[in-house]
Amino acid sequence: MDIKFEGEHLLPGNLGQFFIILSFGTALLSAISYYFATVKDLQDNSWRNIGRIATRLNGISVIGIGACLFYIIYNHLFEYHYAWAHSSRSLPTYYIISSFWEGQEGSFWLWMFWQSVLANILVWRAKTWENSVLAIVMLSQVFLASMLLGVEIVGTRIGSSPFILLRDAIQGPIFSRPDYLTLIPDGNGLNPLLQNYWMVIHPPTLFLGFASMVVPFAYALGGLWEKRYKEWTSAALPWALFAVMILGTGIIMGSFWAYEALNFGGFWAWDPVENASIIPWLTLIAAVHVIIAYRHSGHSYFTATFLTLISFVLVLYASFLTRSGVLGETSVHSFTDLGMFGHLISYILGFLLLSVIFLVIRWKEMPISQKDEETYSREFWLFIGALVLALSCLQIIAFTSVPVFNAAFGTKIAPPPDVIAHYNKWQVPFAVVVAFVSGFAQFLKYKNTDYKKFFSTVIASLIVAALVTAGFVYLTKVYSNLMYIVLTFAAVFSIICNGRILLDSLKGKWKLAGSSVAHIGFAMLLVGALVAAATNDVISINNTGVGYGEEFAKENNPRENIMLYIDEPVKMDEYSVTYLGDSVVGPNTFYKVNYKILEGNKVKEEFNLYPNAQQNAKMRSIVASPDTRHYLLHDIYTHVSSVPLQEEQEGHEHEHEGDHDHEEEGYDAPVAHKVSVGDTVNYKNGYIVVKGVNRNATIEKIPLASGDIAVGMELEVINKSKKYTVTPLYLIKSGNVFDFAKTVDQEGLKLRFSKIDPAKNKLELTVYQKPAAEKKWIVMKAIKFPYINLFWGGTIIMVIGFLLSIFRRNKEVKTA
Amino acid sequence: MKKSSIIGIIIIAIAIGVIISTYADSSTYGTFTEAKETQDELHVVGKLDKSKELIYNPKKDANYFAFYMTDNNGKECKVVFNGTKPQDFERSEQIVLTGKMVNDEFHASKILMKCPSKYKKDQVEVQEVTTASVQY
Repeated sequence: MDIKFEGEHLLPGNLGQFFIILSFGTALLSAISYYFATVKDLQDNSWRNIGRIATRLNGISVIGIGACLFYIIYNHLFEYHYAWAHSSRSLPTYYIISSFWEGQEGSFWLWMFWQSVLANILVWRAKTWENSVLAIVMLSQVFLASMLLGVEIVGTRIGSSPFILLRDAIQGPIFSRPDYLTLIPDGNGLNPLLQNYWMVIHPPTLFLGFASMVVPFAYALGGLWEKRYKEWTSAALPWALFAVMILGTGIIMGSFWAYEALNFGGFWAWDPVENASIIPWLTLIAAVHVIIAYRHSGHSYFTATFLTLISFVLVLYASFLTRSGVLGETSVHSFTDLGMFGHLISYILGFLLLSVIFLVIRWKEMPISQKDEETYSREFWLFIGALVLALSCLQIIAFTSVPVFNAAFGTKIAPPPDVIAHYNKWQVPFAVVVAFVSGFAQFLKYKNTDYKKFFSTVIASLIVAALVTAGFVYLTKVYSNLMYIVLTFAAVFSIICNGRILLDSLKGKWKLAGSSVAHIGFAMLLVGALVAAATNDVISINNTGVGYGEEFAKENNPRENIMLYIDEPVKMDEYSVTYLGDSVVGPNTFYKVNYKILEGNKVKEEFNLYPNAQQNAKMRSIVASPDTRHYLLHDIYTHVSSVPLQEEQEGHEHEHEGDHDHEEEGYDAPVAHKVSVGDTVNYKNGYIVVKGVNRNATIEKIPLASGDIAVGMELEVINKSKKYTVTPLYLIKSGNVFDFAKTVDQEGLKLRFSKIDPAKNKLELTVYQKPAAEKKWIVMKAIKFPYINLFWGGTIIMVIGFLLSIFRRNKEVKTA
Repeated sequence: MKKSSIIGIIIIAIAIGVIISTYADSSTYGTFTEAKETQDELHVVGKLDKSKELIYNPKKDANYFAFYMTDNNGKECKVVFNGTKPQDFERSEQIVLTGKMVNDEFHASKILMKCPSKYKKDQVEVQEVTTASVQY
């Protein structure tokens, strides 16, 4: 039976689906054409030209998919599952962009979009590498496009289309009604945590990072394929640096979002999704270093190729972890399963196999040097540094993959009770080694170095570093743990060594500046992360609360939340903190919290923070976001942990039967007043004036017959400057008496015109009042993060360093 | 021996250390009965007993939250958590606790819950629009 549905807009969906098929087809055509362009040694460029056209068309169709999806979400076409599931009418326009990639399909699109942009840049820039590199990039595009197909082939659905209709996605009786759309007034809306400006720019940056990792991969594989073993390294290096820079920026943006918008109180939580993004970053960083070592010395060819190849395979593995649902409850923000488990695995295996096959068949021909590197050479230590990075990455992979292991072998291994301590145990020593190597390797030369000179420079730097570290450790109070001191020392050493190189480069060897700037940034980032994570201090310690057994207090942290009543200052750390009230903006309630530092009776410093929470009365829960006061040397981070829940607003008018005088819920006992026109009645917050009587009142929807009487009592409720006019009604209909009460919610009042006493010519006004409002309160947590700006600042410096290196290596490609 | 072989051996040794430590540090999912027998922290998986009261009164103590949970073997136990009540707690379908038994109460240091998220569940919230009827 075919139902003709009303009000659906099928054109944008059909058009979008067409673009998906087109993008899949053009990607396939392009990959095939470039494949033949690479393997066939023809004089004309016909295969290449087909590939070019297909790549361009692919770019256009990917943009077409995005435009259709945007149109659907922007116009609230809830007949589409994607719009219904990820947006709502009340969503501001700029967050429509975030709802775009809240779902898997949208984030796949984002990845596809960047990959097609990169492919088109490569068509333009890659020159002799165009054929082989684009064959590989477009093969990856084929896989991505297939993720969006959403078509059934021999009984199994391939991919998941963003243009699927709501009535096809979900079974429900309402979908048999032709007018079902009128029953769906609004979409599910965007997760409030994603309604943050960082969420508008963090995913595009991260996905540009992921997408650009395919380029060095394609160069490395193309190098093996076309037997251009040495050449690919110089062409791939700027791309690898670009990918590392963008992905690094994206990761840190995510970390900043977590710090600014989530209330878990930190910038890094070793969550599997965070790990998934840092794994390929670490391997590609390692790859960049060995590529440089190979280019200067001819050593470590295999390691360079292997790390470059594995980085992209790990990007695919990372997306498998976050998108297949395998992480289950171990992660807060992974996607749910869309039935693409096998599909994702085939993507990983496809590219893994390609890499392995080429490495095996070209093994004999690869320019692998048989000689050992000299111990006092830069290439040796670049190699060691890269290996340590790879090991650090291996530890993260092993740990993050526990759910995969459980799923594959049916085991039930649980994470350790303290996940962070487990990571620190391994990652801190790795970081120490990396920091030391990145410091002293700066004084080594390629091939061989005069070790006397080398040691004298290193020892001088070590002494300076030791002095600086002593001062810094004392200042930041990280001396509680020996490993922390060692890491600080290593990072300071790296800053000093690289600082010396930077000073030299300012005198003329400027092209070395990129790496030393990036290393300084990285070392600062390490120190900043260490200090902020090791010495952050919950300052909202509750010293007043009623205890619940000393047994409990002994083995647990001091209580970390404090209760604030409105307008009652509470002493917290050096601050006097007062909750001053709240204001509502859209779905958010902002709680105004005043911080003061008092010196005697003088206010030394004062500021307000506005942590907010989204209340959900239906679910009786809140979603809290922090607010932070930034200083140069520390941050004061504050979020609410608990607030009184607002009652759900009742939409309908309070009309009720008037012939019995039962007590109304939520109101104090009523008081009846005998009044005449012009009288005044007092209530708690103000007074009520009887302005007049309307003898010809009409009541909506109730027709009056002759003999029926409807009378309205015109009242003015006055509270200071505020004035409300209401008219409760009194009705005699067919001999029965009714009255219709009116409420003034703002004043907590309900007013009934309850009786007419014709004998005395008096009217009866019954006043119901709500009891005095409870004193407002919030429960709040505050954390002091010291030196967190070193972390953010280090990041920015590192990115600048990468940028300088890209310019330098790009110049080398041109001059080579 | 060549330097590269030595490095190779060291790398393999560290790699094995990493993997062993991952599995050595891991704990197990247990039950309340097992928690009573051990002094170590462990994970207990179970469901919130929704028929019993959640004890959380921020006005009295903002850092005391207690509730009753039934573990996967059906044993019920009072759980005490040193902090505020997690958001959406009542709606949790499954709870994973990390902590240990103290007398007859399970003291949790971490609570992880699985919720039917509003933003993930495919359930159409239908709003029936009917003409308003007046009752009197």
